[in-house]
Amino acid sequence: MNRSWRKSLTSLSFFLLGVFLLALAGCGGGKQTSPSESAQTQSKQVELTFWNNWTQPIPEHQILLKRVESFQNEYPDIKIKMDTIPHDQYKIKIKTQAAGKQLPDMFQVWPGAELEPLVKGGVVAPIDDLVNEWKDQLIPADQLADYAIDGKQYAIPGVVVYTHLIYYDKDILSSVGYEEFPKTYEELKDLIRKLRERGITPIALGNKAKWVLQSCYASMIGDRMTGSDFLPKVLSGEKTFTDPDFIRSLEIIKELTDLKAFNEDMNSIDNIQQRDYFYQGKAAMFIEGTWVFGDVMEKAGDRKIGLAVFPTIEGGKGDPRSIPGVTGDGIAINSNLTPEKKEAAYTFLKYFYHEDLYKELLAGGVLVPAQVNPPEDAADLFKNELMPLVSNSKISPVYDAVLPAQLTDIINNGLQAITVGGTTPQGLAEEMQNALGKLNK
Amino acid sequence: MVLILYSLINTYPLFWMVLNSFKTAKEFSLNPFSLPTVWHWENYKEAWRVAKLGLYFSNSIRVSVLATVLTVLLGALASYFLSRFEFRGKKWVSALFLFGMLIPVHAMLVPMFILMQKLGILNTLWALLFPYIAFNLPITIFILSSFMEAFPRDIEESAVMDGCGVLRIFWSIILPMSRPALATVTILNFINHWNEFAFALVLINRSELKTVPLGLANFAGEYSTNYVVQMAGLTMALLPVVIIYLFLEKYLVKGMTAGAVKG
Amino acid sequence: MHLLHRRRWIVLGLAPALLVYLLFAVFPILQSVYLSFMDWDGLTAMRFIGLGNYIEALQNPTFWNSFKNNLYVVAASVFGQVPIALALALLLNRRIKGAKFFRTAGFLPVVISTVIVSLTWSMVYNTEYGLLNRFLKAVGLGSLAQNWLGDPKWAMLSVCITIIWQFIGLYFIIFLAALQNVPQELYEAAELDGASEWVKTWKITIPMIKETLLVSVILCISGSLRTFDLIYVMTNGGPARATEVMAIYMFNETFSSTRYGYGSAVSVLILAFSLMLIYVASKVFETKTIQEKGERGAV
Repeated sequence: MNRSWRKSLTSLSFFLLGVFLLALAGCGGGKQTSPSESAQTQSKQVELTFWNNWTQPIPEHQILLKRVESFQNEYPDIKIKMDTIPHDQYKIKIKTQAAGKQLPDMFQVWPGAELEPLVKGGVVAPIDDLVNEWKDQLIPADQLADYAIDGKQYAIPGVVVYTHLIYYDKDILSSVGYEEFPKTYEELKDLIRKLRERGITPIALGNKAKWVLQSCYASMIGDRMTGSDFLPKVLSGEKTFTDPDFIRSLEIIKELTDLKAFNEDMNSIDNIQQRDYFYQGKAAMFIEGTWVFGDVMEKAGDRKIGLAVFPTIEGGKGDPRSIPGVTGDGIAINSNLTPEKKEAAYTFLKYFYHEDLYKELLAGGVLVPAQVNPPEDAADLFKNELMPLVSNSKISPVYDAVLPAQLTDIINNGLQAITVGGTTPQGLAEEMQNALGKLNK
Repeated sequence: MVLILYSLINTYPLFWMVLNSFKTAKEFSLNPFSLPTVWHWENYKEAWRVAKLGLYFSNSIRVSVLATVLTVLLGALASYFLSRFEFRGKKWVSALFLFGMLIPVHAMLVPMFILMQKLGILNTLWALLFPYIAFNLPITIFILSSFMEAFPRDIEESAVMDGCGVLRIFWSIILPMSRPALATVTILNFINHWNEFAFALVLINRSELKTVPLGLANFAGEYSTNYVVQMAGLTMALLPVVIIYLFLEKYLVKGMTAGAVKG
Repeated sequence: MHLLHRRRWIVLGLAPALLVYLLFAVFPILQSVYLSFMDWDGLTAMRFIGLGNYIEALQNPTFWNSFKNNLYVVAASVFGQVPIALALALLLNRRIKGAKFFRTAGFLPVVISTVIVSLTWSMVYNTEYGLLNRFLKAVGLGSLAQNWLGDPKWAMLSVCITIIWQFIGLYFIIFLAALQNVPQELYEAAELDGASEWVKTWKITIPMIKETLLVSVILCISGSLRTFDLIYVMTNGGPARATEVMAIYMFNETFSSTRYGYGSAVSVLILAFSLMLIYVASKVFETKTIQEKGERGAV
């Protein structure tokens, strides 16, 4: 009895497994291109897979997509098989593909801390033999630096984003006696007090997603206090996060919170809602990056909007003209390409990052790392407010683009904790230094 | 009274979503509670286009229906034997089925990706179908077998005396009697398959095979989300689920009295 | 040979489900267990580190914080969702006016997108403009108004209430189905004995759907220990990790810090905690059954 049972079990399992595998093989095989087909395409056409996150109906994404399309028309022999995936999901997907060694031929990469593991894992190819097409001609060397690791270039930047800009309502500010944005931190505090007395939320903040206080606030305030060479020095061990200047910059965030500079629900709304508070007239200003410029034009274009950056802080070592910023929309090339594919990818990059692209982006209100002039017909806010601020500025590091992911996670959560009294500036600085020590071990 | 209040709370999010799906983005930013001044049907057209719903709907329907039918069928068969039969190792089989309910889906992404790659079925609908069935079998089996276990023991005995075989009993007696539980697991399975996101994200690259949740994610970007169009998309994506529920709801409560044949 | 022991049929019946399940669920789970002993970023070579990941997790206060938060969700779900869903199912299993509408409304939260649930409930909880605080002020209880989602003291409670609300419908339809299994004759007989509604529910209904109750509690425990979606969009684990649960912690470690080995170890720990809690729950049910049997025997 027992034996017959076992026998039937085994035979049945094998039978089912066989059927199953046959079915799988059939289906899996059927979906792949048949040999004759792929041979044909190889002789005529090179196919390149290309992934990016350009899914939004914003000028930046639409202009980049159009550029791919026009490449396709210009070079019919190179077929770009593109997949666009929304930002958050893109990152998960790329990481899974990398773990399975199945990265696409070309894919969008972020500079600094995000690029580094890809380089160390040897999955992206350097493009040093190509970089002179741009270097110091169209694009200044320091704008290329974000996408270079250990002296080798891995991608060309398409855009530059500044993560800190203060968008303010000129009418509200003048109603409390400020015709100009404060020039010092002390004046800013005075402005905040006056706005609070009037019952207006001084600064709309939505820090649910946690990166806002870090990228748009701490990166700026930190730079004002410590100067731009602080982070590299900390990472190399020359300085520490417990440096009094860095702690002071965290204290300023605490001071702003204690002054009730922000709306009370700052930790439960996101950066979209922080803008809504500003658009609804509930707040006098908000702080976010250059990416919201188009949104502000659309939803508050009828109001008198001013732009500013964080004022100087007493005792600060930073350059008052600096703004944290990072380049983006770089495209990396898979290190595993055949020579034909690699050549095709180079052709694509040369065509893609052409002067025309940067001109179009700038005309669409998107800042670029290339030296091109803004169009004559640009909006007033763009011409008179944004361009003077950024063209005169020095780019300084954004924390999450430079710090290892574990440290970004700690500072993101730590800044939230400071605003709710869960930790102190000193405590956060120590926690970051300890974590760094562990990482370097 | 309490019921009415409870229903109001439950239906409010739905109303809110549908109302806002007709507004402009600016209107929604300025006041998320107001009625739309003009009903913007074009949000639906935009949502249909951006989320590629035309294509993804048919993919989703195919995967969800197939996965639901197979999960319920395999699950019902397994439940029948697990609940109405005695054999050694029964407890172990039940315990084994528990494991699939206990691990977070995000931990499965990399192993599942590598498995599908090895089997060579990445980028096919099979790559979704099998994990969907596998990870929904546990809940299906637990609900169904707990239901079948409660049937009186004399059902099979009288059936056997009438000369019925094992499968005959399953098909003509147990299944009809299980109708309410079958309706429940069918609804739950369909919802789970229809909304599944993480596996679909990592296992499918080809646009021709993507499912609705992947399309709906297109509304959220790095720095902003197009809420009004997203709500239009979500409203459309909700329809199939509501239809399935309304269709099966009557079986949920029409149990023993109508369906069962008692020996 | 008795019908109930026909082995060949049993094997045939279980095989299809088991095969799919073993290959596509158990196998990847085992793979995850394997990864949990490794140090791996997905790009460079894997390195075996034994129990290193487990030791790190168990010594990490952030992990224990997420564990503690998760226990709140488990408790809220088991003691919130199950009783309310049961009461609702009992209430709506009768022929009352509009029962069909109420049943549909009761189930609705399960199918509404998490994004919408999060948006609408955030509006309820909002400090300045939220419905809840406005209501409290209107009835003169303004002092009870809180920064529901923004204050670490209240955030977990607020999130739990939303989670309870969202999944009542799930257990509701499971119970509703189970109630159809209770033979009408039992109630009729009890009525002849003059039993009250309460006695009928307690002595007939509950014992008859006991298996289903246990299954629901198991689903509740496993579901809450894996809970992710709603908290992720509603608070993102904040403020200051006050609502960070284990699945969110695991997700961040896996996909932000790209530590697949460590993430897998946290997942295996989630699995282990689930098993422990389920074991406890089934023991509790067992002892209750024995007690009841004893009582009945005594009568």
